[in-house]
Amino acid sequence: MRLLRELSRRKLRTTLTILGITIGIWALVVFSSLANKINSFISTGGDLYAGKIIVTDGEPFGTSPITLSAAEDIARLDGVAAVDPQVLVPWEVDGTGGGFGIQKLVVGSVPGADKGLGYQLELATGRALTAQDTGDVVVLGSDLAREFGVVAGGRVQIHGRAFGVIGTYLPTLAAPDTDAKVPLATAQEMYRLLLPPLFADAVVAADIANQFIVYPEAGQDADAIAVTIEATVANSVALSGAQFDEVIGGPTLIFNAIIIGVALISLVVGGLSVINTMAMSVTERTREIGIKRAIGGSRRRIVRELVTEAGLIGLIGGLLGVALGAVVVVLANDLGRSSGTVLFDLTPGTAAFAVAFGTILGMIAGIVPAWGAARLDPVAALRYE
Amino acid sequence: MNLIEATDLRKTYRLSRRSSIEALLGVDVSIKAGEMVAIMGPSGSGKSTLMHLLGLLHSPDIDGGPKPTLMIDGVDATTLSDRDRTQIRARSMGFVFQSFNLVPTLTAAENVALAAEYAGTSRGAARTAAREALASVGLADRAGHRPMELSGGEQQRVAIARALVNDPKLILGDEPTGNLDSARAREVLGVLRRINRERGHTVLLVTHDPEVGAACDRVIRMRDGRVIADEAMMAMTAVAA
Repeated sequence: MRLLRELSRRKLRTTLTILGITIGIWALVVFSSLANKINSFISTGGDLYAGKIIVTDGEPFGTSPITLSAAEDIARLDGVAAVDPQVLVPWEVDGTGGGFGIQKLVVGSVPGADKGLGYQLELATGRALTAQDTGDVVVLGSDLAREFGVVAGGRVQIHGRAFGVIGTYLPTLAAPDTDAKVPLATAQEMYRLLLPPLFADAVVAADIANQFIVYPEAGQDADAIAVTIEATVANSVALSGAQFDEVIGGPTLIFNAIIIGVALISLVVGGLSVINTMAMSVTERTREIGIKRAIGGSRRRIVRELVTEAGLIGLIGGLLGVALGAVVVVLANDLGRSSGTVLFDLTPGTAAFAVAFGTILGMIAGIVPAWGAARLDPVAALRYE
Repeated sequence: MNLIEATDLRKTYRLSRRSSIEALLGVDVSIKAGEMVAIMGPSGSGKSTLMHLLGLLHSPDIDGGPKPTLMIDGVDATTLSDRDRTQIRARSMGFVFQSFNLVPTLTAAENVALAAEYAGTSRGAARTAAREALASVGLADRAGHRPMELSGGEQQRVAIARALVNDPKLILGDEPTGNLDSARAREVLGVLRRINRERGHTVLLVTHDPEVGAACDRVIRMRDGRVIADEAMMAMTAVAA
């Protein structure tokens, strides 16, 4: 209570200082919440590829493409738990994915072929494909669903055909967002129709497969299996998950750097304003500090009183900053939810860290003026006007 | 037995690299336990400096002359650390200043309790002790008031209560009546005189006021950094006896 009375002595100054810390902590909370979400997206991305082997054609338009029969060859290899054969077809008939970045793809696969080992995407609407689904039905990734404004029960045009949308997925911020999942046979036929007419007649649609996702058994060395696959299946290229992880690690580092940057700025700004406030209040209270020293207040006690006061400023600023950050996060997520972009994740850990950060920042900033106060000569301090 | 036994006290204040003031040029002083003593002299005579040394707020010069001694209640205080001097101030001394010097944000009771806490008393016990000390100076009903809400005489009595709360051996007053009108000054002086008589606290006052000097057992007169006279006030002692 005494402390609050000290703080309320100069209401405007204390309020402004608290506001300074509040803004710093607010920025820290919002950016950390963003980072939490991004990091969880990225670890989703990592999970998408982790521990898998992707087998593709060595020569994309080679004379002897890999065929569906290779799936059985791979499945027979030691250490292979499941093989998920897929047919990847460009979303646009002209072969472009549309725009920059990740290509929009139609992915045909056999539901359940991964034996549950693949990354399980979460549905936003409708249901996932089952082995019973046939014909022109599709489950859309979140980007596609948003682009075409459809949900389960709607229709979407692919290669000039109307597909019934039976489900849509939640965002992953990775490749599946731009994938359209269809039954394997549907994709095989779409693929065949894209081939030059002469060539198309010679190909049996049911044999087509241009990518295999291979799941090694637990404890097996994915890299070694990849080598064996390349040796077994002619013209194949097998990549294990390690390469993907390297690509994915980059964005995580950048985001963490941004968070550290924001934290540093709030540290400098908030810290300076606490130092300023405490230095001013020490000057103002020089005489009072002289009294306390004269009647037997130890240096340590003077330091403790002032550091506690500065810490309280930091604590209040931290609590307000977290509260304000939480409001922004909730509002932004509410706004974003309709378009499927929930970008912030304010975890209890982040909130606790931010409050602790504000408090410790205040205390550290209070140490210098407090130490100066404790070193004052009591007699000179008593004469101070 | 002497509560204070000091010899060869010198103090030079350095004002800048070139100039300094020799405030005390070698002072011997002894104060008996239970005495009430006034230190008098014109401005610049060194009386405040002497009180700061005896109150352990400053340390005497060690170099530049005979080695000083400063025994307080049997403890050599010349070379104590700041921490030890602070602790002696907290436990064995009480200070009363000219301009009252109460902490403005604290109530009268909290101001008094603060001194008890500095001496190591627990919060609860300090509060009780503060109430008793305020009662002993006739301010029990003002315990919850802030300094701003009290008259000068009342503030000075709160300061005396604060000086008393740890039952110290020595009470030091630096012009304790200097900011008060003569009626209030007499009232405060009466309180100091009474606690000296009734409770046996040794009281040492720095003052300009001849009336204060006359109320004491002894007056030490100073000029230009030296003691020039040390006289017992027979009349008052007679009254006391």
